[in-house]
Amino acid sequence: MNPTPAVRLDGASFAYPGGKAGVFDISLDIAPGELVACIGPSGCGKTTLLKVIAGFLPCAAGSVHLGGEDVTTTSVRARQCGIVFQSYALFPHMRVWENIAYPLRVRAVAPAERRRRADAMMEMVGLAGFGERLPAELSGGQQQRVALARALVFEPRALLLDEPLSALDAATRVAMRDEIRRIQKRQNIAALLITHDQDEALSLADRIAVLRDGRLVQVARPTEIYDRPADAFVAAFVGRANLIDGRVVADGMVDTPLGRIATPPHGQPAGAQVRLLVRPEKLRPADATTGENVFMATILRNRFYGASREVELAVGQGVLVMETAVRDGIIRVHIPRDAVQFLPLT
Amino acid sequence: MIPRWITWAYLLYLAAPIALLFTGSFGELWLNTLLPTGFTGKWYREVAADPSFRRAFSASLFVAAMTSAACILAGLPLAYAVFHTRDRRIRAVVRVLYQLPVALPALVLAFGFILVFSSDTLPWLGSIWLLIAGHVVIGLPYFLQTVVADMQRLGLGVLEEAAESLGSSAPQRFFHIVLPALRHSILSGLIIVAALSAGEFQFSNLVAGFLNRTYPVVLLQAFYGATGFACAATVILLALALAASVTGALGARGAARLGPAARLGPASRLGPASRLGPAGRAR
Repeated sequence: MNPTPAVRLDGASFAYPGGKAGVFDISLDIAPGELVACIGPSGCGKTTLLKVIAGFLPCAAGSVHLGGEDVTTTSVRARQCGIVFQSYALFPHMRVWENIAYPLRVRAVAPAERRRRADAMMEMVGLAGFGERLPAELSGGQQQRVALARALVFEPRALLLDEPLSALDAATRVAMRDEIRRIQKRQNIAALLITHDQDEALSLADRIAVLRDGRLVQVARPTEIYDRPADAFVAAFVGRANLIDGRVVADGMVDTPLGRIATPPHGQPAGAQVRLLVRPEKLRPADATTGENVFMATILRNRFYGASREVELAVGQGVLVMETAVRDGIIRVHIPRDAVQFLPLT
Repeated sequence: MIPRWITWAYLLYLAAPIALLFTGSFGELWLNTLLPTGFTGKWYREVAADPSFRRAFSASLFVAAMTSAACILAGLPLAYAVFHTRDRRIRAVVRVLYQLPVALPALVLAFGFILVFSSDTLPWLGSIWLLIAGHVVIGLPYFLQTVVADMQRLGLGVLEEAAESLGSSAPQRFFHIVLPALRHSILSGLIIVAALSAGEFQFSNLVAGFLNRTYPVVLLQAFYGATGFACAATVILLALALAASVTGALGARGAARLGPAARLGPASRLGPASRLGPAGRAR
């Protein structure tokens, strides 16, 4: 038996008036201690989903459960979700410890107890000694820690993070990413992380939920999302992807603009339209002049990243992106047969 | 770069009339000379003893205080509504309202008031409350402008959402977050309103009743008399405007302080957080 999910969405929907924007028929469970990253292009409804869970937006259909309790019609206050806002939303007139203790203050916790618990939280997020500062006197990363401590101090039923790292510089972002993960695990709280950054989602999440036009396209572990994307959209959005359209010649053989490609067996009839996926890091420069799936290639563009480089290759009538550590010139490219995957056409 | 002497010249240009007024108010005699001769405090004593000036002084203080109070009572909810509205038409109307006091001479406003309030249905011309109502019309846009700009700068909407998610009720949000976060702009808005009200002449001169003429209105008559008397009376107006500003400022500070001190009681539905689990878990 699975334990009761901390967050359960069952067909939850919300549509903005007039437009097609919103979220539609979202079903998603988040277990205690689990971190689910919700990822998608801007305008896909990520933040709307967060607002539906938090109660800022009403559920037009379906339901929201928190800790086993139906909160579909419950007010924002009573839902008790800890939210970290993109802009942190720290109260500018309150000191750091007062910000963190604010949820306790509105719950009428005694002042001494408030102070004690705020101090404990500050220690946990690495802000010991910063209690008397004002938010304006802190760096972006420190403000982020205050926001996190404030969202956790009242032991909420879920932690909702709305693009929490987008305002930080690259170096701080990676450090805070690990920090959020550590604290979330330690508190053993269910978390939903809204992000448009695939690296963030892949490296941080237990599961990734890909959202497109307000609908969930795929929910799975990061490796599965990357290795077995549900469709071309997921494949292209999470990681880089070579998407190749072609026509089946025979089982295990597909004609494409690049040429004829040998594929794993797939059972499609000859003449069927198919879409192939090959990840850029699976491609190899080829030495042999002939062989299975070896194609002549011309370099169109070359981006050097240090440890590896990304090369755009003209192959036949198409273009392939290859990621490789090889620095020599590339004349031929090899597509390993088992690196070729089939994706649904739509 | 602007040469420094221009700055100093401009400051001198600004300060000279005030300095001369000040000097003149203490001078015994000022006829056909650059500076007055002799030193005396008698002009101030005369102004202080003059019953019409005394009455005007307290009338002005009262009007400025009431105008400030009305601006904070009407202006805060208005600013709040303006800030939160998504309706474009309301936004457009508000933009016009903002510019109104600049574009519309107080004289026009006064004629409007006279036309409307000298009728038999609304015979309130001469009432001090009508004067205050006019000052509110003149001052409120400046107050709104200051406070709404601060709300936008702070991102007050997100702050309120954050507070709400943390368990704060609507009154708690107002007294814990909105009021203290806005205290600086409320303060400066009130300073503007109080100073405008204390120094307002155009509108008050036409609308004030004989018994509640404000200080600037009475001051005009001083210039038909002795120069020293006029100077002293003007210096007092300066002090009055300053006092009105300080009163406005103190009032706002008091209002902001009220927030954290106000005991609103526990959020009844949530109960103490300490009951939710062992507090020590965070350690």
